[in-house]
Amino acid sequence: MRRASALAFIVMVVAAPWLVAAAVPRQQRYVLHVLIFTALFAALALSYDLVVGHVGSLSLAHPAFFGVGAYAAAILATRARWPFLADLLAAVLAAAVVAALVGVPLFRLTEHAFAVGTLGLALVASIVANNWVEVTRGPLCITGIPKPVLGLPGGPTLAVTTLPGYYWLALAALAAVVLLYRRLTTFRLGRAFHAVRDNEPLAGAAGIDPLKYRLLAFTIGAALAGGVGALYVHYLSVMCPEEMTVALTVNLLVIVFLGGVGSLRGVLVGAVLFTALPEVLRLAPTWRLVIYGGLLLLVVVRSPEGIESLLRRASGARAGR
Amino acid sequence: MALLEVRGLVKRFLGVTAVDQVDLAVEPGELVSLIGPNGSGKTTLFNCVTGYLAADHGRVLFRGRDLTHVAPHRVARLGVARTFQQVSVFPRLSALENLLVFLQQHQEEHTLARLIRTPRLRRLEVEAVERARRLLDLVGLTDKADAAAGSLSYGQRKLLAFAAALMPDPDLLLLDEPAAAVNPTMINQMKSHILALHRQGKTVLLVEHNMEVVMDISQRVVVLDHGQKIAEGSPDAIRRDARVIEAYFGR
Repeated sequence: MRRASALAFIVMVVAAPWLVAAAVPRQQRYVLHVLIFTALFAALALSYDLVVGHVGSLSLAHPAFFGVGAYAAAILATRARWPFLADLLAAVLAAAVVAALVGVPLFRLTEHAFAVGTLGLALVASIVANNWVEVTRGPLCITGIPKPVLGLPGGPTLAVTTLPGYYWLALAALAAVVLLYRRLTTFRLGRAFHAVRDNEPLAGAAGIDPLKYRLLAFTIGAALAGGVGALYVHYLSVMCPEEMTVALTVNLLVIVFLGGVGSLRGVLVGAVLFTALPEVLRLAPTWRLVIYGGLLLLVVVRSPEGIESLLRRASGARAGR
Repeated sequence: MALLEVRGLVKRFLGVTAVDQVDLAVEPGELVSLIGPNGSGKTTLFNCVTGYLAADHGRVLFRGRDLTHVAPHRVARLGVARTFQQVSVFPRLSALENLLVFLQQHQEEHTLARLIRTPRLRRLEVEAVERARRLLDLVGLTDKADAAAGSLSYGQRKLLAFAAALMPDPDLLLLDEPAAAVNPTMINQMKSHILALHRQGKTVLLVEHNMEVVMDISQRVVVLDHGQKIAEGSPDAIRRDARVIEAYFGR
């Protein structure tokens, strides 16, 4: 029964472009656009949750890694005319390298100092994006980023030009992130991450090197954020410094902490709710932000541990526990 | 050769000398207790031995290997296990997972292998689960295997932490007040666990305030006062030692 409903859900998600076309033909493009953003934000939020949820380090630097990936892809695709998969890979690696380099000194800081240090990194990255005009074109933005073309050199290629095509690409990326997230957060790696998060001195006594696992989660989280950045700029075809401001951190914090920190389902639900909801509320433009703010407050007051804890309580009640 | 040797260890905190020129040797298979009034430097000594604090002077040798500036996780992997005075578990992991986490790091393996979950790793994991279940049986927590460690009672967490320390089959076990703040039944339970380990040939160094436990099970007792070693000997000799009596009861 559970398996069947999960399968039905997956079929529905994959078939969403057709369902949307049938249900709201006049707003098909807009709804698909929202779905693409939701998938990309879900992937980004999961990469962020690897750090804040699973090793318990409150990093505020995620926009910097997203931005490094986005700019790497944008620059390589426009100036060096690299193929899509190559610039995607470069974006992932660039973000990972930056994270590994800054991670070593940053993790010498603990808790609040670490958060402030990573906030500093995010601000520096944003300032560099604005002012290193020779490379990033600053506020003029990098434009004309081509649509992604899938395929390896010499083989057949597939250009992703339509909105449904891009939706499936974003969905495939999200699926890859979900699989990696699950691999990383369960079994031996997951246990080591959680041990470091829950009790660092005891983790040491268990033979776990806290720095190693913190750096690992931080670097992989950054690498995935860089990849999402590349997908993002190929979708929008433009990259501007505003895409990587602290506002992005606030979005991620809302998704992860109100969705359910450290929980796959919670973060996914959070991403759907807090990416799609503001868009849906556009239908009531005057009250949009008021309603959104009210809902945020409601979640914080009613369920400070996030929506995931509500879901867990509901399923627990149904199971008669 | 002594399994653990501490030579002239000094640790100062802002001018207070918490451990002052302490020498200590523990032979393989010995059961030694470290006692002393509150603040006499017992836990500080433990922390210096296990890499949680860097000693200001002196050396710590384990199997002749210098541990003085070795990080806690490396000390642990060399075969030195320790428990903490404040009961320490991973509250959000289940009791079973708490034990598993204590063994896996001792099995050298590549991070990538963990990600892929190689057949070898899966086999090790099955063995680890078996061992963990045996240890849960040993301390009487069989039916708590899947309960979050944070939901266990104080005494149960203490037993869990003890079982976790045994998971990697350590050569040297440092126990920080295993009998403190638990009920008499559990004290007896703990005592018999420690004695059983001793009979198996494990080397145990114990910090304990409960004199009954110390005098009952130790082969040798070392007494610290104000960071200095003031006496060392058999439980009987320590009981009669004038300096020890003075340290505990005053003049």
